[in-house]
Amino acid sequence: MLANVKEYFKPTTVQEAFELFNEDRAHSVFLAGGTTVALMKSSSIERIIDLENVGLNTISEKDDNLVVGAMVKIEDFRKNELVRKHYGDFFFNAFSKVASWQLRNMATIGGSIAPKLGWSDVTACLIASDARLIVYDEQGFRNISIDEFNHTPKAEKPLITNVVFTGNGYSYSFKKFSKSTFDIAIINVAIGLKLQRDIIEDARIVVGSRPHFPVRFSVVEKGIRGLKLDNTTASIARNLTYENFEGGSNLLASAEYRQHLASIFVERALLDIREMVL
Amino acid sequence: MKLELNVNGKVHSVDINPGEMLLDVLRRLGYKSVRRSCDNASCGNCTVLVDGKPILSCTTFAARAAGHKIETVESLAEEGNLHPIQESLLETGGAQCGFCIPGFTLTTKALLEENPEPTEEEIREALNGNLCRCTGYESQIRAILNLVKKRGGLSDD
Repeated sequence: MLANVKEYFKPTTVQEAFELFNEDRAHSVFLAGGTTVALMKSSSIERIIDLENVGLNTISEKDDNLVVGAMVKIEDFRKNELVRKHYGDFFFNAFSKVASWQLRNMATIGGSIAPKLGWSDVTACLIASDARLIVYDEQGFRNISIDEFNHTPKAEKPLITNVVFTGNGYSYSFKKFSKSTFDIAIINVAIGLKLQRDIIEDARIVVGSRPHFPVRFSVVEKGIRGLKLDNTTASIARNLTYENFEGGSNLLASAEYRQHLASIFVERALLDIREMVL
Repeated sequence: MKLELNVNGKVHSVDINPGEMLLDVLRRLGYKSVRRSCDNASCGNCTVLVDGKPILSCTTFAARAAGHKIETVESLAEEGNLHPIQESLLETGGAQCGFCIPGFTLTTKALLEENPEPTEEEIREALNGNLCRCTGYESQIRAILNLVKKRGGLSDD
């Protein structure tokens, strides 16, 4: 229980929700799926702004893009027909490894990004798919990157309203290592590859739960661009990941262990894509 | 704050603290099948169904549940007869200390409604958020597979 909560709001528009939040940021919190907020046990939270009724729970196509409401549940997202049309089985399989069925019925796409959780499997996959955010604040609606959102100071953070996926012919793979799928990842790797026949035209290689926030490993991406997707290239990527790994230790694992796992998973994810596509 | 909660088809008018979790309110209303265990979204013992989907009541705000249909295990037995899922769990010894069984039963109910003929792999995936410290899970998985077979699904091959 959040013992000091005095007010619980259920606004019906994005604007109303943001204004309520902005009135007293220090003591307010947005409620998406609730799994993060409920576990905060924070005594400073006095006002909950529940986003359930603001109309952010749909998935639609706009031009070639997939526009996903921030309040769409992880489980609904992975099983959605439009998502499967655009991404095949990638999100269906990758997100089956996220927490448990119960948690996936609660946690939302937007709520997975907003708290900047280092171990978020969802965020790692969204970065690999180059997803962008529609956010709302005093300036109105804007389209920004996840990186831009994360670098916005807390006092100015906008409300995430949608996640936008641009269809662009990439192939994907996701790898996660944890004590169980229920547990948070010790390391996770999400890769998006654009192939011209068997040549890697572009690569997005994301390593998360290092235990820091998922980031793209640009040295590895540059190192394999233009190469043929085969065992040799996968080994090159493995070595580059190992050499350029930046991570830390915590109760789950040491930095050295994560470094080893990350490099192996990058190699395996690349070979998985080769298996799938070529 | 005042709230109306629809639990097992019965509407309760309750006074809650706005920061209170659904688990606390359900137990206060007498739905003691909803177990308090880890209290941090890790064990699945507090599972209830909201609009037919399994969720964790320990991390769901009670105020969020207003306007939705909540189901607990108390709704399953009819006229003193156990639900077939409960019967099957008893037959295989799937309920030992029994503490986790309400959560298991509800997740299983939701699974079988969504997918009446799940494979063993699908059962294990659906139930991976319900922890049991007695059984090692084998007897519970067997209970569900037996029930599916009794209903005419999945061949023995």
